[in-house]
Amino acid sequence: MSYEHCIRCTICVENCPVFRVNPAFPGPKQAGPDAQRFRSDREKSADEWVLLCSQCKRCEMACPCGVEPAQIILRAQQKYGLEHPHTAAHLLFANNYYLSTLGSLTAPLANRFAATKIGKKIFQRMGIATYIPFPKFSFKTLRGTMKSRSRETRKVAFFYGCFINFYRPDIGRKIIRMLQSFKIDVVLPPQWCCGLPALGNGNLALARSFAGKNVASLSNYVDAGYDIVYTCTSCGLCLLHDYQGIMEIPGAKKIAENSYDLHEYVLKLIAETEIKPPFKEVNRTLAYHIPCHLRALEIGYPAANLMQLIPGLTCRILDDNCCGLNGSYGFKKINEVTALQLGGRVVSLIKKTGAEAIVADCGSCRMQLAGLSGMDAFDPVEILCESLGIKDKK
Amino acid sequence: MSVIEYDVIIIGAGVAGLTAGAWLSGQGLKVALVTAGEPTACLSTGCIDVCAKSDDPLQGIAHLPNDHPFHLVSSGTIRQALDDFQQIMAAMDMPYTGGLENNRRVLSAIGTFKTTCLTPVTMQASPQNGNERIHIITFAGLKDFYPGYIISRFKNASFSTYDAGVSTTMGIAANFEDDAFLEAFILWLEKQHNREDKIAVPAVLGLESAAAIIKQIEYRLERPVFEIPTIPPSMPGRRLFNGLKDHFRRKGGMIYWGWPVVGVEKTGRQIEAVMAQSQGRPNSLNARAFILATGSFVGGGLEAKRDTIVEKVFHLPVFVPGEREAWFDQDYFSMNHGIGRAGIAVDSSFRPTDCLWDNIFVCGAILAHTEALKNGCGHGFAIATGQAAAKSCLEHIQ
Ligand SMILES: Cc1cc2nc3c(=O)[nH]c(=O)nc-3n(C[C@H](O)[C@H](O)[C@H](O)COP(=O)(O)OP(=O)(O)OC[C@H]3O[C@@H](n4cnc5c(N)ncnc54)[C@H](O)[C@@H]3O)c2cc1C
Ligand code: SF4
Ligand code: SF4
Ligand code: SF4
Repeated sequence: MSYEHCIRCTICVENCPVFRVNPAFPGPKQAGPDAQRFRSDREKSADEWVLLCSQCKRCEMACPCGVEPAQIILRAQQKYGLEHPHTAAHLLFANNYYLSTLGSLTAPLANRFAATKIGKKIFQRMGIATYIPFPKFSFKTLRGTMKSRSRETRKVAFFYGCFINFYRPDIGRKIIRMLQSFKIDVVLPPQWCCGLPALGNGNLALARSFAGKNVASLSNYVDAGYDIVYTCTSCGLCLLHDYQGIMEIPGAKKIAENSYDLHEYVLKLIAETEIKPPFKEVNRTLAYHIPCHLRALEIGYPAANLMQLIPGLTCRILDDNCCGLNGSYGFKKINEVTALQLGGRVVSLIKKTGAEAIVADCGSCRMQLAGLSGMDAFDPVEILCESLGIKDKK
Repeated sequence: MSVIEYDVIIIGAGVAGLTAGAWLSGQGLKVALVTAGEPTACLSTGCIDVCAKSDDPLQGIAHLPNDHPFHLVSSGTIRQALDDFQQIMAAMDMPYTGGLENNRRVLSAIGTFKTTCLTPVTMQASPQNGNERIHIITFAGLKDFYPGYIISRFKNASFSTYDAGVSTTMGIAANFEDDAFLEAFILWLEKQHNREDKIAVPAVLGLESAAAIIKQIEYRLERPVFEIPTIPPSMPGRRLFNGLKDHFRRKGGMIYWGWPVVGVEKTGRQIEAVMAQSQGRPNSLNARAFILATGSFVGGGLEAKRDTIVEKVFHLPVFVPGEREAWFDQDYFSMNHGIGRAGIAVDSSFRPTDCLWDNIFVCGAILAHTEALKNGCGHGFAIATGQAAAKSCLEHIQ
């Protein structure tokens, strides 16, 4: 909704994690609806601070009036990106997909490089923060290893996303095994990065090109009666929201109407009594960190509903704070302090719960929280698989 | 078609909705709460106004006009609801002071006194008149808090300024959660050698640990310290919201953020599901009963059109105080704007009167004739009607 509906209540400001710790960022109200009054298409944008917004969307979830400060700022970020040269870090992260493809083809080498002093120096020179280890590339990507076809009733086209594909293909394989155990047919459609990293780094054109290819590919599967299932909550938000919104991709509506978060999908099948997963006892006490983008998907917390079905499991939901990493945001040197402060706060709240491990749907949240706390951080599906006795067989 | 079925769905995350939701979860029901955004509690002082019409809040309620919905709640339920509230907030480390015997006064940022019933413990030591000797601390660059307003109304008051490194309410409050920052602040305070009896600080003493923080400052300075509520962003309001929200969660309740209800599914005299347009596609949630707690105009439950007022979720019949001319008083600052009486009229079971469905209950500021501002019955009324509507809802389900 437009900035004119803003009643200046400052509720969004109270919810902005960046504003809390970085005085250089004026907050969602000023950066969003307030500044929008003065922005003009004809003038070059000079406010570099728009880049400090991490696009966590917490402002939008809190606004009682339906104003979308994050959306207004995202547009300002694209305009800024168009008018100014991109920094090395922005280019690198926008092209994360290509980089990752390269990285996983040369995994042992790339990992060793990222861990060396020289590697770290070069990263720092490029404006990349190195306080937590750069994610390790996996030698065999999911695409490279999984082929699954077993003609059953429900058909799923799995949008696994870059994180699973390049860094944690084992989780991808578990997801496929779990869906198959429910007698669901799973295929891996041709797919590219969702485009969110490019968007987050002010490169709308690149984001659009990824999105266009994904929509074309996925749409064939929808037509053939497949449901699309995604697991990365940021990919999901991008598919459902940004493709139709800022990217204006033709045909995106069809994709949005047929895409489900993995856990939302499993719950739906349970509710429609199509499946009855035989959850066994799991004796764990977990702190469930809700990724900002899961919250922004506006589907509730389906993995929490599912974990409630597991006997013996205690799971405390924590959704008031952003982990600070936000995909590539926290990896940029200018955001390092912000990311560290926010992450530190989340970790201290997690420790207060007395949980033994962390769960979070988003790979980048897990990387941040495990890195800062020294605790294990799981994808909820790993817990579901533990309960169902599903293991990753290569 | 819905993904999951609940016993009860609450619409609105205000004090009324959260109270009703937590109470029903506590009875073992499966409860979800859907909300468009954050409630008016975040804009409030965090103090619980029950009824400010008299020094004795229950007396005040007794003297409210006959059509006031407070009369639908028994004094037993009012007592129980407020007791429960105090226990909840104490368990959340944000205790409240006061009781239904008498109202209290709280010093405001402009130097006036606000009448309320329960106050956060951080305002427990708030002066009761202008003769008390207070020293006010303010923060360098903090907007919207000027000790001058208070000093001009107090015989014995002075102030000093602390540089917290940041100048926003949120930023300072977040800093106070850090032990080293708190320690530096206390050391600075000790060096001021103030002689006044009490220390006043704008309400920025932490996000969730305010009660513990104030205790520590009091211990070291050996005198009472109190917070002065500020205009939004209001930390005490946010702490109230956070406390009730976390309590609801701990009881097993589920919250759906960014879920403005835009439509309903119904069969016969039953509402079956509520629907929202969430990212990209419509979504719906089923339940056996629904509690409407979407607040008044500011909360978003009511909307004034040219010559009518609509309830946005179920399109329930709205009590409208006469023609548009009668909606607003000539005096802008008057407490007598007719529109304050607009809302949903209910029967003694908190079901809307003249309603086509049997499984809807209504509570909080959206109720007709509430006039929260004029009668000083804000959160206290929301807590009481929240619990009363929840009880009725439970009876219906059983
Ligand atoms: C500025 C201000 C200051 C106040 N200060 C005080 C004070 O200091 N002390 C006091 O006791 N009282 C105070 N009050 C009054 C008090 O806040 C309210 O009377 C009371 O809390 C009412 O709460 P409620 O739960 O009924 O509704 P609200 O707090 O209005 O909450 C309504 C909720 O419903 C949601 N909602 C609305 N429409 C939809 C929809 N279609 N779908 C889903 N969700 C929806 C909103 O997002 C919101 O979360 C103040 C009020 C205001 C406006
Ligand atoms: S999206 Fe997040 S970081 Fe950006 S303004 Fe909103 S709350 Fe702040
Ligand atoms: S929360 Fe919404 S209405 Fe309030 S200041 Fe922010 S954008 Fe404006
Ligand atoms: S948002 Fe998803 S697809 Fe895009 S880079 Fe991250 S994990 Fe990959």
